Amino acid sequence: MKAWWVRPGVRLLAAVLLPLLVPAIITALIWALPGDPSEIICPKATCSGTAELAARWHLDKGAWSFFVQWVGNAVHGDFGNSWRVEQGLPVADLLVDSVPVTVKLVVLSLIPILLGVVGAATGLLPARTDGLFSAVGLVPALVFSLLGSAAIVVKFGAGAFDSEANLWRLVVGAAVLGFSDGAFASAVSGVRGVFSAERNQRYVSIAILRGERPLANMLPNVAPALTGQLRARILHLLSGAVVVEVVLGLTGVGDLLWSGTLKQDFGVVLAAATTFACFSAFLLVVQAAVEVGVALHVRRAPVLADVARVAA
Amino acid sequence: MSSRRFSAGLALAAFAALFLLAITAPAHLSDATLEPSMRFASPSVLPPFGADRLGRPLLQYAQQGAEIVIGPALAAACFVAVLSIAGGLLRCVGDQRVDALIQGLGEVLGALPRMVVILVAALLIPSTSRGLLPLALVWALLAAPGAMDEAAAVAERLGGARFVEALRAHGFSWSRVFLYHIVALNLRPVVVRQAAEVLLQVTFLELGLSYLAVQGNEASFTHPDSLKSWADLLYMGYTAIGLGTPTWHALALGLGLVALTTVIARSTTTAVRAR
Repeated sequence: MKAWWVRPGVRLLAAVLLPLLVPAIITALIWALPGDPSEIICPKATCSGTAELAARWHLDKGAWSFFVQWVGNAVHGDFGNSWRVEQGLPVADLLVDSVPVTVKLVVLSLIPILLGVVGAATGLLPARTDGLFSAVGLVPALVFSLLGSAAIVVKFGAGAFDSEANLWRLVVGAAVLGFSDGAFASAVSGVRGVFSAERNQRYVSIAILRGERPLANMLPNVAPALTGQLRARILHLLSGAVVVEVVLGLTGVGDLLWSGTLKQDFGVVLAAATTFACFSAFLLVVQAAVEVGVALHVRRAPVLADVARVAA
Repeated sequence: MSSRRFSAGLALAAFAALFLLAITAPAHLSDATLEPSMRFASPSVLPPFGADRLGRPLLQYAQQGAEIVIGPALAAACFVAVLSIAGGLLRCVGDQRVDALIQGLGEVLGALPRMVVILVAALLIPSTSRGLLPLALVWALLAAPGAMDEAAAVAERLGGARFVEALRAHGFSWSRVFLYHIVALNLRPVVVRQAAEVLLQVTFLELGLSYLAVQGNEASFTHPDSLKSWADLLYMGYTAIGLGTPTWHALALGLGLVALTTVIARSTTTAVRAR
């Protein structure tokens, strides 16, 4: 049997490596593309001064030099400048504007999911509602988003981009993310499955006979599985956020990444993808922390030999 | 008729409809008509689905959209199915290093939001190789570890290597044990469900990427400009709600095509579910 610290240790290692691995792979692939990376910003046929630009953007000394320089600057909050989306503007400024929007969107969309998870765990949300939520979850985020976007245009007309309309966009986007693509339905059915399997364990029956609450007994044992499911759910929301943000006109990191991809702005894509990698790394750290907490809690519990000695 | 047979029939009929649309797709949309009455024609004026603002039949949009998605979606589904079967069979072989490798791969590939990986892939794929197929295969690659893990869990519940040993002791050949007893009888529901889900996800991925491009009046990553995606129908539907253009029939058709793909995936899953 593996030691208890192996799994969280691997997650922590992955959390450290992920924000480095993502820019490394993208940088390697930029250099693997045919042609000189600096010509993407400034094609020689239409633009003079390619060499000067390459030197200014650290593209002249090869992939490794660019990567080291980029990571070194990124650690200090400098993600370089945008190549095309907002040419010349610091990408950090674009991220400062967009990260809060994505965080708000994902946190708001987590609210119904967490309520559903609690409802499923406590039995407040009956299993007969699963069919309804599964049916709603079959609708792709795109369809709900475009309907929501159209509804906002109809409701606000010319003022579709003022602050009240933007708040509505955020709320509608969160609702779309929370319920479409099976987000809510999968979360609820996943938690229900975990708890129904655990409820069949003998210790739960014994806890009930002793007059204890089964949920309190089960929770430490199912916490790692629940945290894993929640992490997968948040990654799913982050993935869906790209489509929802662009369709609803929310200027989050997903929207920034889409703009960077469309305009072949490697500077923006590098920074936006690394930001997503940092989100993911944070989730890995949280999952590892829960696993460590549960492992320590279990180790603090009396072992069978101690119980037998006390009984004797 | 049992629900299993009904679902199988429904899935086959829906897939046949999609296939028919794809193989009859024209290379280019018809020329714009000069006849004003044909612009935004309703289905009653221009059967079966009506026309766009230039009087071109929406049927052609449906056909071209089907042509864009059917090949890559099937390829991605097959890719996941093959890897999922491999995941189940490897668990029956009982090699812990392979299990650890699959789990490690799943952790790495599953650590990033899929859409982010797809967009980075879309950016880095050379323009000469652009299309839905490479993106669909990247999506399938990201989905594969989960599918392999689930198939491996089913094989584990069977008994893994001990199940194989028991059947071999009964005198069954290796091929019969692996292909019939494990894959056909036990892994089938999981493998087909995973493949059907990926087929659906790739279709929705195409819709999503094309819609974002159409909305921004940009070229799509998934198909050449000469083809129209189902996302164009949905965008026409958006303009019907938001801007009041008379294109409600396009919205209905777009949603109908989304429903058709969903029916294929869900009915296939129901038809092969475990007894």
